[in-house]
Amino acid sequence: MADLEIKNLHVRTEDREILRGVDLSIDRGEIHALMGPNGSGKSTLANTLLGHPSYEVTEGSIHFKGQDITEAEPHERAKSGLFLAFQYPVSIPGVSVANFLRMAINAKRDEPIRVKEFGQQLQHAIELLDVDRAFTSRHLNDGFSGGEKKRAEILQMAMLSPDVAILDETDSGLDIDALRTVAEGVQRLHDEQGLGALIITHYQRILHYVKPQFVHILMDGRIVLEGGVELVERLEREGYDQIRQEFAQQGEVAL
Amino acid sequence: MSVAGNGAQPAPSGSSGGVAVKPGRHREASLYHALAGAGAGGGRTLAELRAAALEAFEHSELPVWRRSGFWTTSFTELDEELLVTPEHPDAGRLVDATHMRAQGVPDFVADAIPDRPRAGRIVQLDESVVYVELDPALAERGVILCPLEDAAREHTALFEEWYSKRLTIDRHKLEAANAAFWSGGAFLYVPDGLVVEDPFEIVYAISGAGVAQYGRTLVLGGKNSAFKVHEHDLAEDFEEGQSLHASAFELYLQDNARCRLAQVQDWGSGDVFDASTRFVGVGRDAYCHWLPALLGGHLVRHHLELAVSEPSGDMAFRGLFFTEAQEHLDTFAVDLHETGPSGGDVHWRGAATGQSRASFEGLIQIDPGAQKTHTYLQIHTLMLSPKARLDAIPSVLVSADDVSASHGGTVGELDEASIFYMASRGLDRPSAVRLLVEGFFEPVLSQLEDEPLEELVRGKIAAKLAAAREDIEAYAEAR
Repeated sequence: MADLEIKNLHVRTEDREILRGVDLSIDRGEIHALMGPNGSGKSTLANTLLGHPSYEVTEGSIHFKGQDITEAEPHERAKSGLFLAFQYPVSIPGVSVANFLRMAINAKRDEPIRVKEFGQQLQHAIELLDVDRAFTSRHLNDGFSGGEKKRAEILQMAMLSPDVAILDETDSGLDIDALRTVAEGVQRLHDEQGLGALIITHYQRILHYVKPQFVHILMDGRIVLEGGVELVERLEREGYDQIRQEFAQQGEVAL
Repeated sequence: MSVAGNGAQPAPSGSSGGVAVKPGRHREASLYHALAGAGAGGGRTLAELRAAALEAFEHSELPVWRRSGFWTTSFTELDEELLVTPEHPDAGRLVDATHMRAQGVPDFVADAIPDRPRAGRIVQLDESVVYVELDPALAERGVILCPLEDAAREHTALFEEWYSKRLTIDRHKLEAANAAFWSGGAFLYVPDGLVVEDPFEIVYAISGAGVAQYGRTLVLGGKNSAFKVHEHDLAEDFEEGQSLHASAFELYLQDNARCRLAQVQDWGSGDVFDASTRFVGVGRDAYCHWLPALLGGHLVRHHLELAVSEPSGDMAFRGLFFTEAQEHLDTFAVDLHETGPSGGDVHWRGAATGQSRASFEGLIQIDPGAQKTHTYLQIHTLMLSPKARLDAIPSVLVSADDVSASHGGTVGELDEASIFYMASRGLDRPSAVRLLVEGFFEPVLSQLEDEPLEELVRGKIAAKLAAAREDIEAYAEAR
């Protein structure tokens, strides 16, 4: 069994079925890209994997490191090594980035992390991701620009060292410099820590900086196409419409 | 704005970011009025004032305040047997409790207050002062810290000039009881030009049920002085019975004096009734930073008035409150400008759990002639329970035409998106809630600029959240 094993996942929210049988396996050290047009269910999948209470799993299962986590509490999933980088990170006024990181790290441990050890880890992550030290004393995401929020997400990911991270459109709204920093950060965490990642995007450009081994195309709540990076190139040439036509003929998706 | 957990519809959050103000009356359905005038003092002796107050006490009922049918603060459930009656042997005269002074600080008090460097400390337990401590170096430089009953005898000139200068004695029965029967009390005098780094601590402690504590504090800051006052109000937890704290506090700052005044009030789990009036007068070029943290009491009614009385006075009036279980808190905070130019900045934050009730009325009052006043009042509230009720009523009374005065506020609930975000980082729900609530209070709490007090308040907030955990969960599910 893979580290993250999604089987026949059906998910509904507010009486609407959004995922209609998703199968996906991700191991540590693998980088996957999940692409699909707007409304195909990408963010639903990301939120469901972390147990967002608004999404109901009606069929299928999610296993993580051998455990069935389909019904697990969100914080339990996080503590077992899953991570979600949010498309729209919320601000937490009154709590500094550093304090929040310390609490998140301590939530995973029995003994609180020592100040010195925490300082060293933070320093390493700051250098890795090219962020300003002063950044960590600001209140989390409070008044942050879009780029700063995404950097803060990747900084948290680096500090929490998850086994598998889901990045939900982390690339959206970023200028090219921020995009490169974020993408290179993911690539380095993969190279250094053996991070497994599911990069959710509907643009190709992030994939110029971080190289997925596996590419999945999601349409109408199902994965309709899987392959390697050549799929990205095909998408760039043909767009989603062509693929939709192809699968509509097979009755997999609606036109 | 106003919001109730049950029935009444919530007001839009973030309403009234600023209100353009013209001379005239702009008031919502508010209940209270500023003292805004001379007090009862003014030439009368203490004995005369006590006699007049006793008269008022005898001819009044336990107070009930009603605001247009939606809000009632009633002290009628208070056991009148508790109050010192006119037949009581102590009525109308000073209690000689000097023999109590050697008693020292009771353990439950010492445990509740941070042990930290201080300039002095005075502790009243129930009716009597049990401990007085003052840095000898400060005493040498003219600082006075003593029971107010001693000051009446030993520092008569100062006492008679300032005692009850701006406080009334007969607006309601409990105020009259205080003015008639007070004993012990605290008097602090900081002479001209003296700057004191560490805080003076004034403690009012109640040992259990059956106590009527009439606290009375007078603080005087001389010209160019600078100092800090920390008041702690606390009680030993008790199961049965009632106790009363009816207090009067006055603080006057003379030219260019600066004071940071903080109050941490937590009466614990017993049924402690608290009806208190506090007045701070800011003189020419003087500045006061006042921050009450109101963290518990069975039934609490506070009148808090901060007045800029002479030109170029400035003030910051912060406050926080957090009610739980069956508590009832009724706070009236006044930002009063009697002359201009003057500045004001009022920022309060309050939360409620359980079936508690909290009302905050904030009033900006700018008197005729107080031109060039600039002030702002904001009140933010956070509902943590479906059965709690929080009212926040800002209002503005302006009688000058060259001023800026506005108010704003928000009514909030716990944000589920934030809780999920934190859960995705491994924080369980109680931890996430605690972070959100601490974050909510932080803009006010951090203004204490005093680490031991901040820790004390944070600890109390955390304890309240832990106690209300099931309640907070139920609210989340109900939504």
